Amino acid sequence: MKVVKQQDIKLDSSFAEEIAKRSGENVFLCYQCKKCASGCPSRMFMDSTPTQLMRYAQLGMVDEAMKKNTIWYCVSCQTCSTRCPADIDIAHVIDTMRIIGQEKKLKADDNKLPLFNRLWMTMIRFMGRAYEPGLVGSLNFLSGKPTKDMALGMKMIKKGKLKLFPSFKKPFAMMKMFSRAKKLRK
Amino acid sequence: MKLAYYPGCSLHSTGIEYDISTKRVCEKLGIELVEIKDWICCGSTPAHQRDDLMSIALPAKNLAQVRETGDMKEVCAPCASCYSRLKFAQQRLADDALRKDVEMIIDAKYPGDLIVYHMLDVITEKFGVEAVAQRTTRSLNGLKVACYYGCLMTRPPKVTGKGQFENPTQMESLIQALGGVGVDWNMKTFCCGAAFALTKTDVVLELTRKILADAESVGADVISVGCPLCHANLDGRQTQINAKFNTKFNIPIFYFTQLMGLALGIEPKDLGLHKHITEVGDFLKERALT
Ligand code: SF4
Ligand code: SF4
Repeated sequence: MKVVKQQDIKLDSSFAEEIAKRSGENVFLCYQCKKCASGCPSRMFMDSTPTQLMRYAQLGMVDEAMKKNTIWYCVSCQTCSTRCPADIDIAHVIDTMRIIGQEKKLKADDNKLPLFNRLWMTMIRFMGRAYEPGLVGSLNFLSGKPTKDMALGMKMIKKGKLKLFPSFKKPFAMMKMFSRAKKLRK
Repeated sequence: MKLAYYPGCSLHSTGIEYDISTKRVCEKLGIELVEIKDWICCGSTPAHQRDDLMSIALPAKNLAQVRETGDMKEVCAPCASCYSRLKFAQQRLADDALRKDVEMIIDAKYPGDLIVYHMLDVITEKFGVEAVAQRTTRSLNGLKVACYYGCLMTRPPKVTGKGQFENPTQMESLIQALGGVGVDWNMKTFCCGAAFALTKTDVVLELTRKILADAESVGADVISVGCPLCHANLDGRQTQINAKFNTKFNIPIFYFTQLMGLALGIEPKDLGLHKHITEVGDFLKERALT
């Protein structure tokens, strides 16, 4: 029998603290009941479960939490947050992990979600409202799939379901709002 | 009854028939909707996935604009995602420190006394299904409807204040009042994957397939929805799903406001029914609903 010498295990709670500071959620309340994982509609696409994500956060296993595809496959359906017996808003915890990931420019599985989020927020900053054709066009172009959903898009145009031109709602007021928020965060 | 109306971006594009039918139905029922002046995007999923502060500030700005619009105390949003963001903002803004920051960002006072409703709540709770039933001129004739709520109309209950969040029944009671039957099915609050509509389409196709398959397996004629994002997936993705999974879905997807409109005697073209990707024209004729 091979005996492995006991090693010092260092637990690091700084990741959990960062999450708590940003979201107000305490991941240490999780007792691994797996209710969140059982009801997660996106589970089949994830490298690990939301339950495991909570454990990673508790143990300070930042790489496991941030480098697997899990956080990028949460579709924000709120099922886990609704059902958690420990009353943890898991979806908010995952959002917080994603925000940390995007701020640190960590690579996300295919990077498409951060790209989409960035394009969306830029669009709102300059136009105030969404402009779908511009958004889809730049997203598909920048992610290297320029013809994705083309047939569906053409059908939508024919049905009058897509605006051909953007509308601008108070662009200067919008930009000022965004820059005030940026200043506040510093 | 007079409410501030927040259509949101989708109702001016992919969900335009939801906007059209909501306005027609409310007009018919005598519910006055006053569109919020200079409303902006609520930030939707990208905001809360990227920028926590703006995800609260954007809805807060829209709520502040209600004051600029009129003296309404109640706001309604037909889009489940907009509704959710407005409700989330209200809940978070109970925190004084955050509220001060947000008021600084939006350069306006945040009105803490507004009540936000989803359009379905306005109809079923404020107006009442009996009152709707009294005004119907045409019966849905036993149409079997799978009522789909999706995620955000009811979840999370801490934010929406809904008592029934795993098995809501308010849309079923409305459908019954219109002469239809709400079928018993499993997927009424299952996610369609809306947040990934443009980024992870594989997820959307799989989740939407499950919803369509369940509705079909219990013998539903149509699915009724209350969200433009759910509609875009369920209505618009059937061709792609059929190609990918070798299925033959051809299920008409209606907004609940369109089904109401039909029962209230409004013409299908005035409800935007010709704008669906999965065509419903023949179906309406077959069922004598035009
Ligand atoms: S539902 Fe809550 S307590 Fe249970 S495993 Fe998930 S996070 Fe932990
Ligand atoms: S919010 Fe995310 S993690 Fe939670 S159940 Fe939904 S998809 Fe899964």
